[in-house]
Amino acid sequence: MPVSNSQPDRNNVQGMIMRGYTHPWSCHLIFKFATQPGAKGFIKAILPYVQSAADWGDDKPEMMLNIGLTFTGLKVVSKLTTSDLAGFPPTFKQGPASAGSQQSLNDGKSNIDTWVFGQTGKQVDCVVHVYGMDEPALNKLVKIVADAAVAGGLTEYLPIANGTKRLEEYATVPRNSIHFGYLDGIDQPALNWGNPDDPADLSAFLIGYPNNTSQPGPSQGNAGVFAKDGCYNAFRMLYQDVDTFDNFLDTNAKEIAPKLGLSIADATEWMAAKLNGRWRDGSPLELTPDKPNPELSHATAFGYSGDTTGMKCPFSAHNRVANPRDEVLSEPGLPPRLIRRGMAYGQPFNSKTASEDRGLIGLFLCGSLSNQFELLYSWINTTNFSNIFPNQQGQDALIANRSMPGADTSFTIPTSKGPVEIESLPQFVVTRGTAYCLLPSISTLKSIVE
Amino acid sequence: MTNPLTLYVPIKQDAKTQETAQGIHDNFVAAVTAGLDASAIVHYARISLIPNASGEGFHAIMLMTEFDGPMNPYLKFFWDNPGTKLAFSAIAAIALTPPNPPVTDLTGFENFINNNNLNDAGDMYAAYPQTVKEIEKAFSTAKAH
Repeated sequence: MPVSNSQPDRNNVQGMIMRGYTHPWSCHLIFKFATQPGAKGFIKAILPYVQSAADWGDDKPEMMLNIGLTFTGLKVVSKLTTSDLAGFPPTFKQGPASAGSQQSLNDGKSNIDTWVFGQTGKQVDCVVHVYGMDEPALNKLVKIVADAAVAGGLTEYLPIANGTKRLEEYATVPRNSIHFGYLDGIDQPALNWGNPDDPADLSAFLIGYPNNTSQPGPSQGNAGVFAKDGCYNAFRMLYQDVDTFDNFLDTNAKEIAPKLGLSIADATEWMAAKLNGRWRDGSPLELTPDKPNPELSHATAFGYSGDTTGMKCPFSAHNRVANPRDEVLSEPGLPPRLIRRGMAYGQPFNSKTASEDRGLIGLFLCGSLSNQFELLYSWINTTNFSNIFPNQQGQDALIANRSMPGADTSFTIPTSKGPVEIESLPQFVVTRGTAYCLLPSISTLKSIVE
Repeated sequence: MTNPLTLYVPIKQDAKTQETAQGIHDNFVAAVTAGLDASAIVHYARISLIPNASGEGFHAIMLMTEFDGPMNPYLKFFWDNPGTKLAFSAIAAIALTPPNPPVTDLTGFENFINNNNLNDAGDMYAAYPQTVKEIEKAFSTAKAH
């Protein structure tokens, strides 16, 4: 199928692609199929609850879901031939644990071997994202999905508490807040329509339309027809080591507070901001470098190109790496963007819950897993994407994998009183599982069960 | 981290294909220099024609490179660059088993490269960890002094 210039039909696109849901309760169910009839029966049973991107006006659904299929899942349920299936991008076909993807993700074999889903022997075929306005609504739809899975003979992965609990959003963590205490999900691509040279255009995320930045595919043949109006989701379970993070802040705040003339409490917040590029209230260092400013907590109108010394925002601060904005890149073109639909899982850290699992349920939506998600992740693990960065072997200060061969895990924070040097950053975030899914169009989901 | 790509493509045996293969080989460096320079991630790239066992003609064409960082995210830069795109497209066009569907977009290009790549990251020895950018920067600084 040739790519189309017409505007996509919102009724045919799964809702999470085009809008961030504000339902406070969510659960993410992870499955392996057993048989084709069982898998098709499962999808047919939950299809009525799939939410499209159409405007729901005042009639906000009490409960709803979206469905993702991995390449192995797609092979089970689709009518595509082997030749058709070959047309999907290699990154999607091979999956996140493959040698090719690990060149970017660098999770490390010893870590991948411990993944609770998405590694050899723990194949994921389908992920169902269920949302509810309240706990009863969520539980009602989760039960419908779980019952349909049992009826279809599916195997469900329970990633929490030694395989006994589902991956659920922890609803009492403040919305858009993560366990390290930062406001999250502040800046999303605009998803406008009609500019194929814009990495934030909807065409950079939706398959089947011309876009010169991410160039989503497949765009040809039966695979192109199947994938049109779909979008990829790099689905990750990311453990956040709050104990290590808090200890790091405490230890370093005590050391740097005298040098900077700050109280230990202020030095703690200063260090947290330097790691992230935004203060914990969300206000960006580029706009308010000396102290947080709640009025700027959702600010997105700023860049990094004027900060050529890193004096306001360190070069390898997380936000400066994962969304470089107007940073001058060493490669041609503009930096890629991702749609992020993540949420926190697990109870907040305290002395009673210290040993429990907690972190981020990461939904990273993109039109190309390699040109958007993996490219940004490679920059996170090695900050070599801009010649202005003095350390070409450095790493994202918050979420990089420190065990990556050759990585320089040091962190330099330029200040007017001389640089603050952190010899080696700890591992703050550990991947627990990954699945590369296609969020197919609603017409494609219907075609699967016909 | 430096990674390898060894693109090994058996080619058709007719006279025109063999002549084209020789042309790709002879023009390779000129065709790709600008694109590889612009990428600033490729340490070396070379192309070889693999002879038939009989000694007459060529069995395959082989392109070998060593580059910084992951392969798949950076294939886009080679697809977007006219010189490197032309070189890779020319190789695909003379393949004994042509890509199906033909390579007309980035996804097709990614598949062609992955399907014909003989190497993985673990296959390669490197004497030094520095990237192309670091080496170029170091030597341009040294030259300036």
